[in-house]
Amino acid sequence: MFNYTFQWRQAFQKLPLLLDGALVTLQIALLSMAMGIALAVLLAVARNSKSRWATGPATVWVEVARNTPALFQIYMAHFGLGSFGIHLSPYVALLAGITFNNAGYLAETFRGALRAIPGTQMRAARSLGMPPVQAFRLVVMPQMFRIAFLPTTNQMVWAILMTSLGVTVGMNTDLAGITQDINVRSFRTFEIFALAAVIYYLIAKAVTLGARLMASRLFRY
Amino acid sequence: MKTSIVLGGLLAATCLASAASADKLDDIIASGTLRCAVVLDFPPMGSRDADNNPIGFDVDYCNDLAAALGVTAEIVETPFPDRIPALVSGRVDVGVASTSDTLERAKTAGFTIPYFAFTNVVLTRDGAGIEKFEDLSGHVVGSVSGTFEGIALENNIKEWGAGEFRPYQTQADVFLALSQGQIDATVVTSTVASAIVTGGQYEGLVIKGDAPYPVDYVGLIGLREEYGLLNYLDLFINQQVRSGRYQELYDKWVGGEAPNLTVSNVYR
Repeated sequence: MFNYTFQWRQAFQKLPLLLDGALVTLQIALLSMAMGIALAVLLAVARNSKSRWATGPATVWVEVARNTPALFQIYMAHFGLGSFGIHLSPYVALLAGITFNNAGYLAETFRGALRAIPGTQMRAARSLGMPPVQAFRLVVMPQMFRIAFLPTTNQMVWAILMTSLGVTVGMNTDLAGITQDINVRSFRTFEIFALAAVIYYLIAKAVTLGARLMASRLFRY
Repeated sequence: MKTSIVLGGLLAATCLASAASADKLDDIIASGTLRCAVVLDFPPMGSRDADNNPIGFDVDYCNDLAAALGVTAEIVETPFPDRIPALVSGRVDVGVASTSDTLERAKTAGFTIPYFAFTNVVLTRDGAGIEKFEDLSGHVVGSVSGTFEGIALENNIKEWGAGEFRPYQTQADVFLALSQGQIDATVVTSTVASAIVTGGQYEGLVIKGDAPYPVDYVGLIGLREEYGLLNYLDLFINQQVRSGRYQELYDKWVGGEAPNLTVSNVYR
């Protein structure tokens, strides 16, 4: 049976440390999303293009990112590149791994969104005299982001949760890293992990609610 | 109606009381199996042979303990950070896992008297520019998260204010990071260091002197309230030393004179 006395006071003393870690977690998630969205737009455009030089690499990226575990991607960024003498710090390796994953998933989201926009939009913009890039940027892209907005917030939540995989590459400043550090020092596993879980839940919930609020403001007709 | 409630309550209370009177030691003897948490990426204490069977000092120690109890041993591979969860969730009965007996941990887990003692050395790579412990200042170093030497090394780095500490989840990851050049050095127990250097799995690793840390005494661990089991384990460790089996196992896995397990000028 479960034979354990919970010591919450001892765990709550560590709350400030955990909150510092939560900030790092949020920072990595936001940076990886910003870079992931930028890369995903390029990948989505590349996959819709007619040149094989563009579709080939983009397809490989999307396939690998979507069909291998995020843990593998982060581990490869640290130990995989390390075996070729490229040394990424745990922070950079974690950021690179999650960005790679975000870009792959979002590229497919964006590609779907692009498909949903009628081709007449582009043609109408072009007939007004806009060059292709300008037409894409001013007419197509805003509509794409509107369609893909809620799926994108899903990926943001996923990115926050994926940061916890950083412990496997020696990350010790994010929420999971600090949680694990306190755990091995004090052996107060269940209290510390429960606190960390609540913090992850609150961050994820805040992001979803914030996104819904933003959507209702931004997308009113 | 009321009588039946009272009777039911009494019956439930009796069942609970009788369940509580059989302690962990009884449970182990009754079940016929002793489940030991052993770390298997920590040679020579625990590792796997060519056929993937668990071997090492801790594995033999668990087998001896099972033989003393008259039950069969079951080795449950447990990474360092998972020792307490494994114990508390009832996946294992006892941890034979080189667990340093810190006061912080003893608030949660029950420790026996020391069954082994480690000294620590600096393990580095050829050409990393490290000749002794003091040279670690300013370098990127790493160790297994939360181990005795890991905590000490992290404190050193903070104290020096130069360099960086990286905690990894397993000993294997530390050696991988060291051989790749992700980190320049680690502080690790002398037994593990010599096993790794002579093992030849990672090339170019060298031992560069001792780390000035106190002797790292490690105990067996059980649930904190299982005094019956903990008392038995204390006596078992005593008998292992008394009978010469401790020295015998040390000869088999490490070689030389086995470390003294007593601290002078104080009782335990």
